[in-house]
Amino acid sequence: MNFWQILAQLATGAGYTILVTVACIATGLVTGLLVALLTRLRLRALDRLLATYTYVFRGVPVLVLLFLVYFGLPGLGLNVPPLVAMMLSLGLIAGAYLAEVFRGAFASVDPDEIMAAEAMGMSRRQILLAIELPQMLRFAVPGMLNEFTTVLKYSPFAYTVGLPEIMKQAMALAATTLRGLEIYLAIGVLYFGIYKLMLFLVRAIERRYAVPGFIRL
Amino acid sequence: MALLEVRKLVKAFDGKAVLDGVDLDLEEGQVKVIMGPSGCGKSTLLRCINRLTEPTSGQVIFRGEDVTRPDTDVRALRQRIGFVFQNFALYRHLSALDNIKLGLRKLRAMSEQEATSRAEHELRRMMMQDHGAKYPAQLSGGQKQRVAIARALAMDPAVLFFDEPTSALDPHMSREVVALINQLYLDNVTMLCVTHDVFLARHISDRVLFLDHGCVRAEGDADHLLEDHEDPHIRAFFGRETQGQ
Amino acid sequence: MTSWIAFLQEVLLYGPQILQGLGNTLLLAVIITFNGLVGGILVFYLTLSPRSVVRRLTDGYISFFIGTPLIVLLFLMYYGLPQWGLPLSPLTVAVLGFTLNVAAYNARYLRTAYNGLDQQELEAARAQGFSGLEVFRYITLPQTLRLSVPALTNQAILNLKDSSVAFLIQYTEFFAEVQELATRTFQYFKAYLLAGLVYLLLVSIIVLAARRLEKAILRPMH
Ligand SMILES: Nc1ncnc2c1ncn2[C@@H]1O[C@H](COP(=O)(O)OP(=O)(O)O)[C@@H](O)[C@H]1O
Ligand SMILES: [Mg+2]
Repeated sequence: MNFWQILAQLATGAGYTILVTVACIATGLVTGLLVALLTRLRLRALDRLLATYTYVFRGVPVLVLLFLVYFGLPGLGLNVPPLVAMMLSLGLIAGAYLAEVFRGAFASVDPDEIMAAEAMGMSRRQILLAIELPQMLRFAVPGMLNEFTTVLKYSPFAYTVGLPEIMKQAMALAATTLRGLEIYLAIGVLYFGIYKLMLFLVRAIERRYAVPGFIRL
Repeated sequence: MALLEVRKLVKAFDGKAVLDGVDLDLEEGQVKVIMGPSGCGKSTLLRCINRLTEPTSGQVIFRGEDVTRPDTDVRALRQRIGFVFQNFALYRHLSALDNIKLGLRKLRAMSEQEATSRAEHELRRMMMQDHGAKYPAQLSGGQKQRVAIARALAMDPAVLFFDEPTSALDPHMSREVVALINQLYLDNVTMLCVTHDVFLARHISDRVLFLDHGCVRAEGDADHLLEDHEDPHIRAFFGRETQGQ
Repeated sequence: MTSWIAFLQEVLLYGPQILQGLGNTLLLAVIITFNGLVGGILVFYLTLSPRSVVRRLTDGYISFFIGTPLIVLLFLMYYGLPQWGLPLSPLTVAVLGFTLNVAAYNARYLRTAYNGLDQQELEAARAQGFSGLEVFRYITLPQTLRLSVPALTNQAILNLKDSSVAFLIQYTEFFAEVQELATRTFQYFKAYLLAGLVYLLLVSIIVLAARRLEKAILRPMH
């Protein structure tokens, strides 16, 4: 096995790692946003349900939830594909953390501006879309970035359910080449590269939508 | 016909009446100033009229239509009342121009071009034409308030409400804003203005109302009310306010 | 229902092993929380160094360990080092790996808190004639630690949860024993559900303790 073959195998793995990470981040963003929005309805029973969701999913290890979904659910007659299992564990855990991030960011929107929009005759929906969401999302960038990083860092767990991502490829390579040290060092650097790439992309988007002097009060 | 008639308006918070039977009339083209000690319910009165706060009882008749009825189209009512706040309340993520365009685009369904030219017109009227691309954080207090007034005017409201428009400004900026509001007065814009600023009150109004303990205690010419009213309580109040200038 | 009773009987049968696993989990969590705190303070101190080389290296350290998965580091040490004739026990690998990782996170929390401090107060202390280390020891550190209590306790919770990763390098902690229970009884769902509930319970205990700690520490400041 030559150097280029090793590189090609790690590149394939990197593709899957990015796929897993993006899928879990998307799951997290959708659920987090949904939970943060539903909390605003202030319905007693719903609130209790949402609070339970965030508490439970922030209190259980990713690995335990992943095994519960992937190895446990088939026992109840529910077979879950590996990527979906990642989304239902890591993705929903990210959703619980992101819900908190979004809730805090919504609370930072200046109530006077919302009142001004109401006084103008805008509907709840218009205010949400034109005032609250654009401001909230800007406030939430640091929290989102933290959570995206966390998702990337837990993505190697996908090897335990058989997804051929970086970690899985590295283990196979370590077994065939007997050069575990070099391989794991290399993928450490590879993960760091993906992390830096993600940082760069988020920062670029943040800069693209930057508003001068717009800070969280 | 009166543009606005407020009849026996009551607003209670937790059983305590903040407004206790307020009567007020505003004719088309008229300007009235509401003054009174802080906490007497001036803001609450304005907010009850456009239903940001639900009145406990009483009536508000807007162009002959009772707008306190439950089936009133509240959003349509609010679109006919321009509101300018003490702390500007500009949308911080939007440029000055976009602050003005937002309502035109979302509520008046204007085209992008139409909204832009209308917004630019309003900025010019407030002498802010060179600042349209700036964001609120890049504007001084006086400039922010001028954008806020332009934003309200752009919607072509039947009446403009001001809630202490100069209270958050230093004296110099406050004079600038007073001059602009005065221009609106000369242009016959209908206005209802809450203020502590005697200078503003004198410049822009035909009539001053004195609100205290939840009702209108006195109403009269600015000069009469501000200078030598027979009620010692009112004299004492304005004596203090004038000294503060 | 009967299947649950049968399952719980199995759990009782494996009880001693599971408890031992739980003990190992708690042992690891406590060690790495302590080490991570001490290491974090050390790294934080280095970020304040007047020498820019030191600062840059420290920032690189923090950034690298926040940007790479812990599991890679654990595999590197556990499966890679024997290649150099350096076989380490699972516990040693876990303690080393977690300490390096958690220290980086804790240093970042402390650094964030430090950036929010009143710099004038620190200047005043320096002007009073305190040495750099004394200023750090008596003023900077106590203040940043206090401000970081929520972040640090949050990290303690993460440590407890993440300690489950150690089972992937053969450390026989709680989740490894649950895994054993699951494969022997074929009751995967029940076993993992039980594991989840136990972690939730332990996390709740930390949350309650942390709330008390925060109250006790934050009160004198206001
Ligand atoms: N939402 C509210 N809930 C309870 N009390 C309120 C509320 N809004 C205003 N008040 C009370 O009503 C009184 C009048 O308030 P406001 O109209 O703001 O006074 P002003 O504008 O004249 O200073 C104050 O005593 C205030 O505390
Ligand atoms: Mg007021």
